[in-house]
Order: sequence, then C-alpha cells, then structure tokens
Amino acid sequence: MAANGTIPNGTAETAKTQPTVVGINFGNSYASIAEGLSECIANEDGERQIACAISFHGEELYIGNQAKHQLVKNAHNTIIGFRNILGKKFSEIPKDKAVVSAPVIQHPDIPDEPAYRVQVLNPAPTPLPRSTTGTPAASNLPTPRSEPTPGETVLTVSEVTSIFLRSLVKSAEDFLGKKVTGAVLSVPAWFDEAQRAALEKAASDADIHVLQLLEDAGAVAVTTAVGQDTDLPVDRTQLVVDVGQSSLELSLLSMRHGLAYSLGTITDFSANGDSIDEKLIKFFAKEFTKKTKTPLTVCPATDNQDKRAEAKLRLAIEHTKRTLSASPGAATCSVESLKDGLDFTGSINRLRFDMEVRPIYNQIYDKVKELVESAKLDLYDIDEVVYVGGSASFPGLDETLAQGLSESVVTPFTAGTVIGGGVGDPTTILARGCALQAQVLSSIGHSEEDEEVRKAFQNDSEWTKAKATSKSIGLIFPEENAGEGSLGGQWVPVILKETPLPCRRIVGLQVEVSEAAKVGFEVWEVKEGVKIEKVKPPKDEDDPEEEKQEGGNPDEDDEEEEEIETKEKTLEKESFLTSLLFDVEEIEKKDGRSTARIEVQFLLGADGKLDVTAWEVKKSGKQQKATATVSGPS
Amino acid sequence: MKQVIEVSVVPPPLPQNWTPPESSSKSISPLVERKLLPAGHAYLGHVRRAIHKLSFEEHDKHAEEERKRLQALDGEGGIEDDLGVGDEPETEELLSLDPKEWKKQDHYAVLGLSHLRYKATDAQIKVAHRKKVLKHHPDKKAGAAGDSNDDAFFKCIQKAHEVLSNPEKRRQFDSVDPYFSLIEDDVPTASQITKARDPVRAFFKGFGPVFEREARFSKIQPVPMLGDVDDPKEKVEAFYDFWYNFDSWRSFEYLDKEVNEGSDSRDDKRYTEKKNKTERARRKKEDTARLRNIVDLALSVDPRIKRIKEEEKAAREAKKKAKSGGGAAPDAQQKAKEEEEKRKAEEAAKKEEEEKARAEAKKAKAAAANARKKARRAERAGAEGGS
Repeated sequence: MAANGTIPNGTAETAKTQPTVVGINFGNSYASIAEGLSECIANEDGERQIACAISFHGEELYIGNQAKHQLVKNAHNTIIGFRNILGKKFSEIPKDKAVVSAPVIQHPDIPDEPAYRVQVLNPAPTPLPRSTTGTPAASNLPTPRSEPTPGETVLTVSEVTSIFLRSLVKSAEDFLGKKVTGAVLSVPAWFDEAQRAALEKAASDADIHVLQLLEDAGAVAVTTAVGQDTDLPVDRTQLVVDVGQSSLELSLLSMRHGLAYSLGTITDFSANGDSIDEKLIKFFAKEFTKKTKTPLTVCPATDNQDKRAEAKLRLAIEHTKRTLSASPGAATCSVESLKDGLDFTGSINRLRFDMEVRPIYNQIYDKVKELVESAKLDLYDIDEVVYVGGSASFPGLDETLAQGLSESVVTPFTAGTVIGGGVGDPTTILARGCALQAQVLSSIGHSEEDEEVRKAFQNDSEWTKAKATSKSIGLIFPEENAGEGSLGGQWVPVILKETPLPCRRIVGLQVEVSEAAKVGFEVWEVKEGVKIEKVKPPKDEDDPEEEKQEGGNPDEDDEEEEEIETKEKTLEKESFLTSLLFDVEEIEKKDGRSTARIEVQFLLGADGKLDVTAWEVKKSGKQQKATATVSGPS
Repeated sequence: MKQVIEVSVVPPPLPQNWTPPESSSKSISPLVERKLLPAGHAYLGHVRRAIHKLSFEEHDKHAEEERKRLQALDGEGGIEDDLGVGDEPETEELLSLDPKEWKKQDHYAVLGLSHLRYKATDAQIKVAHRKKVLKHHPDKKAGAAGDSNDDAFFKCIQKAHEVLSNPEKRRQFDSVDPYFSLIEDDVPTASQITKARDPVRAFFKGFGPVFEREARFSKIQPVPMLGDVDDPKEKVEAFYDFWYNFDSWRSFEYLDKEVNEGSDSRDDKRYTEKKNKTERARRKKEDTARLRNIVDLALSVDPRIKRIKEEEKAAREAKKKAKSGGGAAPDAQQKAKEEEEKRKAEEAAKKEEEEKARAEAKKAKAAAANARKKARRAERAGAEGGS
C-alpha cells in the first residue's frame, strides 16, 4: 500500500485472507494475465493481450505492445519470440528463418547459450559527491560527462523472460492493489523438461512463485469445466483448436465431469497466425502497388525500405484482423507513409479475407481430421470445439471446420462468446484457466497429506496415471415390439467410453410404469460407431425427409451432383452385464401416462468392478435401494 | 460433488412378459491406460480420493464440510476484507468526547485502532474510518430518539481521520501518543535489576519492552533489539552503538500552544511562536536525554557487559600467562578463572569479616556510651540526693 516514506509508521501485518494468485498465459507472441474467472487484467496501457516483446531504446525499456511498435525503426534492439527458444541450446535453434527483430546470437561467455545483444544508453554517472558546505568536494578527476554513454548489453533468453514476466506481474499487482503470492503459467504441450525448468527458473528470477506449469489443454479444460453455462453434457469430447501466432496446436480432450485427459495432440508450425498475417500483408501490398504504381515486395522483403513497410503493415493489420473477426463488414487498414512517403488505405471484407486464407483453414481442417483419425474417433464424436488465441476468432475457420462436425457441436461461435466475451472467449480462455487452477492450488492446505496432494499436480506425477473405460456402459429399458436391428429398448448412456476410473455417475429420469408398478432395466456395454452413408442428392428440392438429411452441407448441394456423405451414430450391443427389477410406489398420472421418478447410480471402481444401485425418488426422502454388482475384468 | 444427470427421455413401460435375464458372468471390456491432465477441481477431488483412500460418499462429506467451513469464514469476515481492523468496544467515555478538545483525544481509540496504534497501515486507517462513519454518521441518527443533533463523536472521528491520514500530522501525533506517554516512564531502576532474585532475567524482562517501545522512533529500521544473554560481543556492542547514536523522528509540534489567529497583534503571534519553538527544542532535548539515560542505565546493569569484560580480562591474563608460562597455555585460562574466583571469595569473606568486626565495634562503642551515660546519670542523681 501507500508507502510512508521515511516514517516508519504503518507496519502492521494485515490479517491473513485468501492469497492473491493469478494465472498467466505466456504465449510466444502474446501473453495475458487473469485473476479468477473475471476478465483478464489490462496492463498500464490498457491492453489485455500483451505482446511478448521488449525493446531497448536509449535509456528507455519498452515492454508489450509499445515494444512491438519499435520493430519499425528500432528492430535490432527489439526482442520478440523468446518463449519458444527458452531452455534451448544455441545449437538447437533453427537459424533459417528470416528475422525481423534482434537476432539470436551465441552468448560471448557461456558456451552454447543463446542470447541477444542490444544497444543501450547507460545513464549518466551521478554528479560529484557534495561536501557539507554545498560546494563540490575537491577532486582531481576530470569533470564527468553528464550525458548517458552508449553501451552494449547481452541478455540471455532467461533474463529477457524474467524482465517480461516481472512487468506482467507488476501490472497485475498495480491493478489488484495486492502482492501476488503465486501464479500458474501456461506452457505448450511440446515443452520438454529442460524448457519447463528454464521457464520456472526465469519466473523465480522475476520473484514469481510458480504454483504449477499447466499445459494449454489443461487450462482449457479447467475453464470450460467451471464456467460453463450452456447445456453441454458434463461428459463430452472436446476439440481444442489453438491457433497461435507461431504454431497450431490441436488437442482432443475427453472431459468427464471436469476430469480431463488428452486423447491426442498435434502441433504444427506451418499453419499459424503468422502465415495468416503474411497472406494479409501480401494482399495489402498488392493493393498498394495497384493504387500507387509503387513496387512493394513483402514476405520476404529484401529492400530495407520494403522491410520497414512490411513492419508497418504488420502493425496495422492487427486492427484489421480484430475488425474482421468482430464484424462481417469491410475492415480497413491504413498506414501513413507506407513507402516513398505515400499513404495507404485499403479495405477487405470477410469474404475476400476467407478466400485469401482458405489454404490455411483447409490445412487446419486436415490436421483436425488427422488428429481425430489417430485417436480412432470420428469427427462426429466431437461434442464441443474450443478455440484458443486471437487468430482462432475468425468465423471463416469455424465454418470450415463445421463441414465435418455434427450439427449439435458447440463452438464459441454458437455460444456467442467470441464477440460477446465471457468464459469461452478465445483470447482469454487460457489465462482464465490458469487463474482458476491457481485458486484450486492455493486452496490446498499445508498438512503432510496435503503436500502429497500438491505433488500430484506436478508434471509426470504418479497420480496422473489412470485407467479408463474402453466402451460405454448404460441402461436399456426393454420395450415391446422393438424393431429389428435396434437395441430392443430405450438406451440411456451412463458411463461413456474413455471415462477415467474410479468414477460415479447418477442419472435421474422419469420412467413410465407398467401396471404391475414395477420398473426394470438391463445394464449393457455397447459399442459405438459412426455409420457413413453415401446418398445421391435429391433431384426435387421439396422432399422434406431428404432435406433434413443433407442439412449439414447446405452450400455444396447446388452445383455439384456428387454423392454426399451422411453420418449417423450407431450403437451395437456388446455384452450384457446385469439387470434390475424393483417396485415403485409413488406413481404420478399425467396425460394418460403413469410415471415415476427413479435414480440410478453406477459406481465403477478403479479395478473395473461395477456397482449398480437404483432407487425411486420419493417425496418423503426414504429410499429403498436395489443393487447389483458386476465384478471387474480379470 | 454429487451430481445427478437429468435424462429427458421417458422410457416406455416394461413389457408384460419381461423377466430380468439371468445375470451373466461377463464383466466390462478391458480398461485402457490414460494420462490425466493435472488440472481443475475434478482432478483435485480425484487425487484426494486416491491418496486418502476415500469412497465417493466419504469424499462428498469432506467436500461438504470444507464448503461449510469456507462459507463460515466468508460470513465471519464479511465479503469485504477489513484488513484486521476488527471491532473495538466503544466505552461511554469515548463516546462523550468533546470535539473541541480534539488535541487531547486518543485518535487511535476514536477510530477503534488502539490495538494497532503506530503500526496501523494507511489502508487500515481508511477501513476503520469508513466503519466508524457508517456507524456514527449524523444522517444515521436523524430519526433516532434523543438528541438528534448530537454529532460530537462524529466530529471526533473526522478529526481523528484528518490527523491520522496525513503522514506529517500522524507523525506528530505518534510522537506524543497518550497511550505510550503513560507507560513511557515505566523504566526499571538500577536497584530493581540488581536486587532482583534473578538479575539476568529481570534485566531482559525489564528492558526488553522499553527498547521495543522506543524503537518505533528510529529513522533507521529495523532497529537492533536487546537480544539474548548469550549474544556475542559484537552484537552487544552493535546494539549499544546503535542506541547511543539513535536518530529519532520524534518531535513535539503537537503540544504547541495555539497561536491566536484572530489576534491582530503581530508581536503576540511571534511571541507564541517563539515560545513554542523553544518549548519544542527543550522537549526534544529532554527526550534525547531521557533515551540516553535509559541506554546508560541498561549498559550499567547489563549482565552481558559484565561477562564480556570478564572474558576479556581472562583472555588478557591467559595471554600474559601464555607469554610467561610458555607451554602451560591450555589450562591457563581456567586457572586464571579459578584464581580469580578464589580471590573473589577471599575478598568477600574479608569484607564480611570486616563488616562484622565493624558492626561489633559499633555495638561495643554504643554499649560503652550507654554505660557512660548511665554512670553519669547515676552520679548526677547521687549528687542531687546528696545536696
């Protein structure tokens, strides 16, 4: 709080309350910081997405988006993209990429250590010490220079990271008005042990107590598990599409009551935000040449002037991209004095933009298909798509992916969180997840057993290993005159496949009761599949049945006379486990149907032993339980 | 977290001819190994269950207890954090303070901060002030019975906040905090320490709080504290060195006599100002002297100083002996100590004897005097009787 200066009043310790913990999404290009489920914290410049860049300019040090602007005139003193090479050796870093910022060099003293060399101005030395009488003390030294002296500084990647992280936490502390006692940092899935250790060290050098390094997918899982207000089932399969500035990361998560694990991950460094930027820059450069008849070659630029123009465009399209993702209308891009003193103003609408970046969208779509295949699933098995990162906020991407997915899939676009903000907002989801995780971790006590619990959150902890079911288990309520090929009754899934054990599921439902006032069901294990049918598109457009079937591909049916794939989820009985039959008492009559409310509990132990308990929900609260047990697989 | 998944389908009634099939001996398909993401409440629950070997029901119970505890905690502290300001009872005396006499009031007590005093942070003062204002604002009392115009205590609160929220004013008030002024003279005397049954303990018990109290005035923080009996020489010396060069921020502006602002007489004003200035200087001087006396006193009765001196002496002697005795160095120190002790005992015995002798001599003298007096009286009586 407000310091009292030299007056030593106000030293009382404040009462212990909830510790202040934050979540930091530390990406390669942008970082954000959040506390709790609320909106991300803005830094002093009001930015919630803080560019991972630091720039030295004379005596000044710029951090964040301010530093990015230095890329135009002061590129050799501006450091970007340092997260990805954190913890790597100099020899491991690929050097074939064109650099637009301070180049990575070999550290002059430490072997095989990447570093940056920047020009700085060292502050002027302090004036001569004054004697008590006010006149300068006698000295035979020459009068010192009062101007700052130019110098050079070599910074290791770790030091750069520390500087950046410190400024992030400082912003958060200024905003919260409290000291931050701990933080959870996000790391990409491909970070190895050395890189994790390097990040942890850099954070501790910045006086940040790291509670956990959380994988991006984990952060997504936390956010979507907690802040969900849609009608999504608690057990679902989630596709996480993280289009970062420098890499594409896809993961398929199995979310079971908030407990998540990854079914597969793909990292791709070719389809990323940078390549989208490149397309857009090229588009505007062409436009500029067309308008002004001034040649401008960008991506890659060779000429110095072109390089500067490219940097200017790169900064300007940030705004264009934001407009594009927010509104369907035209988005403008204006740069003053782009080249040869000529100003540029251009515009692009969403349709044109989608056309430009279609190859990238398709690349992402192909990767998604590859991932789903490697996990031995089908696109139809995905219940929810979560987008991460600003570049994933383009509706065009969602439209491309939606071709293959089932219609009921929930995306941030259908939930309206891309524009409206909220929990599913792609730009803040990771930071929020980290912040929630930090709260979870800080709620753990300090007893001996709790320390054990805390250790379970470390990377590669023993406790992360779990067994999971391979097939879905559920109830079949037998039915008279069940059709041929059907399951012979009403299917109610209880424990889905890929559910980590031990688990417990309780389903509550209304059942129709027979005249004998009995309720019975069978417990089956089923095999799920997806049936793919190829159908000819209908000749006449007014057949309502057919219309419904091909609704998934509305834009392809006009000109093409090809066969269209339709997909349908199928179920197949695998093995009968057990059955239950019990009496019900409180029968409710309505619309000629007599129903009763029952609840069925499935308890699946870590060894695969299944306990099925069923009871009627009565108003008196009394329960008469019927149970059955199935022993686990030997 | 017990969660019931609602299923919206309504299954049809049981067929008439349906009988529960015989339970097959089949079990579920083989399990697969997976690696969980260590994230979220669900994982925490999963790990807790695994580590403590709890069943789902037991874990539910624990979670419920935890939730209740947190809720209770929230309810206690309120939603807003009061930074440990708390609620102090307001005595009748406090509530009847006269705002005109604000110089004499204890501002910390008025704001309910008497448990923190000079330690209170600015944030705490702000919270405390807000609390008191909410309780005592005249608007709150408008409809209440009794004298609704009685906003005396509110004025006291405002005055207290004015003083404590201004760093300079607060420093001036802290300098003459009435609470500490009362216990300021509570310094043990030399005889109290030396005559105590356990002088060492009495020293630390007596002087510890005194130095802790005075430390708040230091411009340099942290201040070295009295310490322990076994502190090494350097530490003890550093302690006394610090306290002899104590740089205090204490000042006495708060006790100034009010300058009569209404008066037109410049001379009058200047006279008061001058007087105040000299008074301040005098008080400051007195305070410095007071602290010096305390340190002097502490030094004179410090058992560690005695010990250090002895040790030094012993060391010196040992050195001397080592020089003269050559090889007999190892137990020289011990010998020196023994000798000293012996000498001391002898001395004490001699003293005692002397004292005894002196006392006896005195007694004898007194007896002799008495006898003489008696004799004289008898003589006189005899003479009178004779005449």
